[in-house]
Parts: sequence; structure tokens; C-alpha cells
Amino acid sequence: MTKQPVQQAPSVNFEAMTLKDAIDLAVLIEEEARDRYEELAAQLILHRTPAAANFFTKMVRIEELHRSQLLEQRRKQFGDQPVTVRREMIFDVEAPDYDEARMNMTQRQALEVALRSEQKAHKFFVSVLANVQNPEVRRLFEELCDEELEHQQLVKAEMAKLPPPGPHDHVDVGDGPAPQ
Amino acid sequence: MTAPPLQAKDYKSELKPIWCPGCGDFGVLQGLYRALASIGRPPHEVAFISGIGCSSRIPGYTTAYGFNTVHGRSLPIAQGVKLSNPELLVVVAGGDGDGFSIGGGHVPHAVRRNMDLTYLVMDNQVYGLTKGQLSPTSPKGLETVTSPLGSLEDPINPLLYMLAYGCGFVAQATPADMPGMAALIEDAIRYPGFSFVNIQSPCVTFGEEDQQLKAHKTKLKPLESLGHDPTDQLAAMDLARAYGTELYTGVFYKNPKPPPTYEALVKLRQAEQAKKARPRDRVLDAYLQK
Ligand SMILES: Cc1ncc(C[n+]2csc(CCOP(=O)(O)OP(=O)(O)O)c2C)c(N)n1
Ligand code: SF4
Ligand SMILES: [Mg+2]
Repeated sequence: MTKQPVQQAPSVNFEAMTLKDAIDLAVLIEEEARDRYEELAAQLILHRTPAAANFFTKMVRIEELHRSQLLEQRRKQFGDQPVTVRREMIFDVEAPDYDEARMNMTQRQALEVALRSEQKAHKFFVSVLANVQNPEVRRLFEELCDEELEHQQLVKAEMAKLPPPGPHDHVDVGDGPAPQ
Repeated sequence: MTAPPLQAKDYKSELKPIWCPGCGDFGVLQGLYRALASIGRPPHEVAFISGIGCSSRIPGYTTAYGFNTVHGRSLPIAQGVKLSNPELLVVVAGGDGDGFSIGGGHVPHAVRRNMDLTYLVMDNQVYGLTKGQLSPTSPKGLETVTSPLGSLEDPINPLLYMLAYGCGFVAQATPADMPGMAALIEDAIRYPGFSFVNIQSPCVTFGEEDQQLKAHKTKLKPLESLGHDPTDQLAAMDLARAYGTELYTGVFYKNPKPPPTYEALVKLRQAEQAKKARPRDRVLDAYLQK
């Protein structure tokens, strides 16, 4: 297997990673995504874009659910052993990029943001897997990789339920903050 | 018991940014939190000083001390803060208009005085807060509300300015590369003297399409990958000339032998003068010519 450059977190050594650190990192990835969706929801509430804000709030709950499931697995396997990986080691793995949000974005556009984020996370786990040797860590990342694909299907199914895009969906009629 | 290491979230305040969704400044703020966590100085040892503009709202979004001052006056106020408490880590933040238009006259003097300050300019080539007028870094030909037929002026080159003024640390970043930007901010803060980072932080509301983060992702060129030696000031100037055409990121110049800072020289002067000082009960003798 050829080694691919790891797309994110240059300070993380995936080759030598233990299962405990891998689960902790996965928890942090979900936490980062949860917090980002929370921020985007807050931005859109502030800028009166409720449909997209509601969808991002739903994503907050989903990411929190994933986080708590991983945390439960961690507790069962490693109890309260100290966490040695840090959130600062990862950058926007599953969290949508800040420039994905737009004032007046539609619900469909919000779903597209989530889809791109799941695709980004999948790509991340694929690139990481190319460098992981430990079989337990490989299994965890493979599971996470598959889950990202499942999530993509769920988002696509949600998108299919929406009315087709309207002619003004891409019109960004925002205004900046109030001048001082 | 040792305190747990500081995390990026420890620098995040309760105040929710009112920037337009998608604004580049969100990424800059996140990078800043991370750089501070990496440096590890607690929020009460840090002060953010800004002028006025969308980007100048940064102090309110951190748990550090902050002063959202007057348009164009962040540098004089930051120097006052640093001089009165040299132990504080002082970060100055603002926009291209704030720093190079109304505040432009303060920049060379802040650079030559060389206090240990870090100046972060969120360069979006426009006046964002006041609804999209021309700024000093707007490209020639740009159509804005103040240049409806296109700007007739050449933009200034902030990188070249700073290098020519003798700034000891000059870098450029974009939130399109978050890890790179956070590392550069950290490097700038750690530099012992006046440091400058020009951050290409797109304005999604009034900015140009080719200045947005998606475009940055395709066109950014890390200086490291070009084999640039950041201790070579002339090579830095040569590369800096491409501002506006190429998006180079990384350190253009870092003085390998940083000179003493102004506050260090003041301390030395104070120590010298203290030796010559009269005892407290003889201070008034100076006025009696004794
Ligand atoms: C003395 C003074 N003159 C003018 C203004 C109006 N004003 C506020 S912000 C601003 C320019 C902001 O542009 P920039 O510094 O690039 O920040 P941005 O909003 O783009 O981040 C101007 C002209 C002011 N507040 N005070
Ligand atoms: S007007 Fe521009 S610079 Fe200001 S918050 Fe909006 S996008 Fe950002
Ligand atoms: Mg500006």
C-alpha cells in the first residue's frame, strides 16, 4: 500500500497511535463538528435565516449523539485514563468550513454544506488509514469511514424530500454589520 | 497540582460575532484562539487592541483584556498599553482601512520603535463595516460604491511597506489554510519585537469572487515550498512585490538577530538613571539648585 500524505493534523502521529488516543481523537472530531454547527446556527439565527439555522441545530444534536456514543465506548474500554490528545491537533475534519455559511441560505444549501462536510471527513479517514498499522485502530477508523458514507446517504435522502431549488436560491442579498 | 493546559475555547468569549456568515474573520479568530492556546499565556496576561471596522471587533470575542479603540489609532494605544505593562502579551488587530488608510501614519513609527507587539491586519481589500468603499489595498479598477466606474488608484503593498520600514517579522496568511495560519500567528507572537501578519481575510459581502477562500485554496503558494530563506531580507522584498498577483503564505522575513525592544531599552535607561537619582528626601533640591 502506498503512503498518502495525511490531509490534516500534522502533529498527530497516526502510525504509532494507540486505540485510546484514536477514540479520543474521534471524540474531538465530533466535538469540533458539533461546536461548528452550533456557531453556524447562531450566525444564521442572528442574520434571520431560520430554515438553515434549524437544520444546523439538528446537526448539533446529531454530532453530539455521535460524540457521546464514542465517549461511551471509550469509558467501557479505558475507564478514566487521562486523555493525551488535544483538540488543537485537528483542524476542521468534519466541521464545515466557516465560509460555507451564507446569509439567507436555503435549507437545501445547508444540507449541501453537511454533505460536503461528511465527504471531507470520509476523505480524511481514508488518508489517515493509509498510515495506520495498529489493527484495532484500523478497525475503528474503517468503521468511522463507513459511518461517514452512511451519513452522506442520510443527508441525500433528506435532500430528496425538499422541493427543487428555486431561481433565487443563490442570490446573496446580505448586508454587513451596523457601522460604528 | 499543575493546571491543565489551556485550550482554544478558554480564549473564546460569550459574545457571539455579528460578522456576516462566511466572513473570513471567523477563521482568523479561530486561528488566533489556537495560537494563544499553543503559547499558553492565560487570558488575563493578554490584551487585544483594535481600531474600528468589522475586523476590529476581535477584542470583544476573546476572554483576554480588550480595547476596541478609535479608527486608525490601535497602534499608538497598544504601544501605551505595552509600555505601562511590558509583561502583557499585546496583540493589535484591525483592517486594511484602519491600518493603512487613516492609521497609515502610525505604522512606520510603531515599526521603528520596535515594541514587542504583534500586528494582525485582516486585509479584505475593502472597507467592510461601512458597506464596501475603496480601501488602500483595493486593486486598481475595482468597482465599489466610492468608485462606481472602477478605481483609478494603485493599491499600496502592505508587505513591501513593512519590509521597507524595517519590520523584523513579516508574514502573510489566509484562513484557507487554518493550520498554517495558526502556526504563523503563533510564530509572530513568539517573535521578540514588532511582528506583522497580513491575513488575507475575505469579505463575503463586498469582496471580489477571486478573493474568496475557495479561490485562495487553489492559488495559495507556501513560501516554504518555494525554498525561500526567511532570513534573506532582499529575497523577501522581491517576493513581496507580487502582492496582489500571487498569494504567497508564510514568513517573508524574520530577523535572525532581533534587536532589543523599546521597552527593554526603557528599562535599561531607567536602571541607569536610578543609579544617579537623588534620595527621596533630596528630590526637591534640584529646584533649589543645590
Ligand atoms: C475617525 C473615523 N473615520 C471614519 C470612520 C468610519 N469607518 C468605520 S470603519 C471604517 C473602515 C473599515 O475598513 P477596514 O479597516 O478595512 O475594516 P473592515 O471593516 O474591512 O474589516 C471607516 C471608514 C470612523 N469610525 N471613524
Ligand atoms: S461586511 Fe465583510 S468584512 Fe464585514 S462582517 Fe461582513 S463579510 Fe466580514
Ligand atoms: Mg477592510
